[in-house]
Amino acid sequence: MLKKRIGSFGIILIIALIFIFLPFVYNNQSFLFNMMLYIALAEGLNIIYGFTGYLPFGYVGFFGAGAYSASLAILFLHFPPLLSIFIGGAGAFLVGIILMPLLKLSGAYFAIANLAASQALYYIVANPNLESITHGPYGISLASIYNPHASYYTMLAVLVLSMIIVLFIRTSNFGLSLLAIKEDHITASLAGVNVAKARAIAWGLSAFVAGLSGACFAWYVSVFYPGTVFSLNISVIVIVFALFGGIGTIAGPLVGALILYSFYNFIGISAPEYFQLLYGILIIVLVLFLPDGITSILQKRKIYVP
Amino acid sequence: MLNVEGLVKKFGNFRALDGADISVKEGKILGLAGPNGSGKTTFINVVSGVYKPNGGKIFFNGKSIYKLEPHTIVHLGLNRTFQVPKPLSGLTVEQNVKVAAVYGSKEGNVKDKINSALNSVELDNVKHKEASSLTSAQQKLLGLARALATNPKMLLIDEIAAGLNQHELKRIADMLIKLNKFGITMIVVEHLMSFLDILTDDVVVMNAGVNLFRGSIKEASMNEEVVEVFLGR
Ligand SMILES: Nc1ncnc2c1ncn2[C@@H]1O[C@H](COP(=O)(O)OP(=O)(O)O)[C@@H](O)[C@H]1O
Ligand SMILES: [Mg+2]
Repeated sequence: MLKKRIGSFGIILIIALIFIFLPFVYNNQSFLFNMMLYIALAEGLNIIYGFTGYLPFGYVGFFGAGAYSASLAILFLHFPPLLSIFIGGAGAFLVGIILMPLLKLSGAYFAIANLAASQALYYIVANPNLESITHGPYGISLASIYNPHASYYTMLAVLVLSMIIVLFIRTSNFGLSLLAIKEDHITASLAGVNVAKARAIAWGLSAFVAGLSGACFAWYVSVFYPGTVFSLNISVIVIVFALFGGIGTIAGPLVGALILYSFYNFIGISAPEYFQLLYGILIIVLVLFLPDGITSILQKRKIYVP
Repeated sequence: MLNVEGLVKKFGNFRALDGADISVKEGKILGLAGPNGSGKTTFINVVSGVYKPNGGKIFFNGKSIYKLEPHTIVHLGLNRTFQVPKPLSGLTVEQNVKVAAVYGSKEGNVKDKINSALNSVELDNVKHKEASSLTSAQQKLLGLARALATNPKMLLIDEIAAGLNQHELKRIADMLIKLNKFGITMIVVEHLMSFLDILTDDVVVMNAGVNLFRGSIKEASMNEEVVEVFLGR
């Protein structure tokens, strides 16, 4: 267990160092920021999907809730940016608590209800009647605190936090209890696990990570619309990234986001018409031949994937 | 130790339990027999909190456990096994028991609880195997090991001997007797009277969701109603 923890810490450290120093030699900072953002979101999704089996199609709802909670804290309460980022995480966590009853649903019902909830949130935020609070469809401007440098490194801190949470879950008794619930929740409850509580904790942590990420995004771009931060594309992309790498590990979502987002960035932007095609083929191949993600190649050979 | 009165469980309009009264004193083994579909498994499911009852009373150690969650009931010291084993398939045998050792009870050292549970059911030699790779009989024993790791004061055991040969039956019976001697009260559900006969002289026979008879196995075999439900018509 200790060895595994040290190995995983090694990976987190390497990733942190890469993103600390890369901006000095590679000038496409927005690519690096988005990469960190997608890794963090894929890890956050991994907390709930990889360890409990709930597929949150509305995951972007937490992202948007984080972006808006942080922005409102900045605009109305004049909180400093870092505190506001935390408020973003807390706002998403609160939305998570409100949506807790969804965990009573199973499978596709959960996924659809969560999707609907995220869109409901979008319509609330974008509602012109709430213009005085959310600025409705006109979006948010945080130009007064615009700081790409500070927000970049804050995003890095959130990325590291998301990976540490997954590391903790993966190597703790709490994580074992989540896996037990995923296998058979009745057996888990008869092993003494409080199933509802364990699921709620995973759900809250997952929401918190998405909220922090959304808040960092808001700070980094500083101008955005409701449609930007509640876009269903974000849910889909993050789910695909996590599945591509393989869920239930730290490395899976990391590898998935690194490969697919690079792929998107280098081919998708220069040759979008080929990109869609290649992307589609890649996903079909994955589903057919590697349903558990690329890291499952190692796991099938009994190699431990951190 | 366990007092159940007038227990009712409905599935739609069907009453799988229709006012069952069953009680066991501390330290005893009670056999629970009855034809297929008489409600034995449902009784265990309701008492252990897996199904919510529709009426009646359930007291464990003087405390009502009626409609409590399974994990709460486990923490009070009551656990069960499954007729159809429900292992945590993707986890190893050891991890299966570890979850129970960590979450089932605050008392005792986790490693000791795992070892002693695996030892009691003689599964130590397969502890690194994946639970899904075990035979069905081994998976039932694994279920017993998980229950033991939660430090139970009482166990509800559901047809653990079904499908076993004479030699294996004896081994399981000895195992249960030993656990009982260590102080675990039990209700042992079994179709086979010969198996119950080794364990206890106190049997309840259920039929159609109610207890029909209580007494020794010998008395049961001479009771007209019991003979009728067992032989049918
Ligand atoms: N989950 C369920 N849903 C509907 N009917 C059930 C369910 N569980 C048990 N039953 C019915 O309740 C009756 C009692 O079943 P059970 O308790 O399994 O009997 P036994 O264990 O004595 O063989 C049976 O008629 C069975 O079909
Ligand atoms: Mg049965």
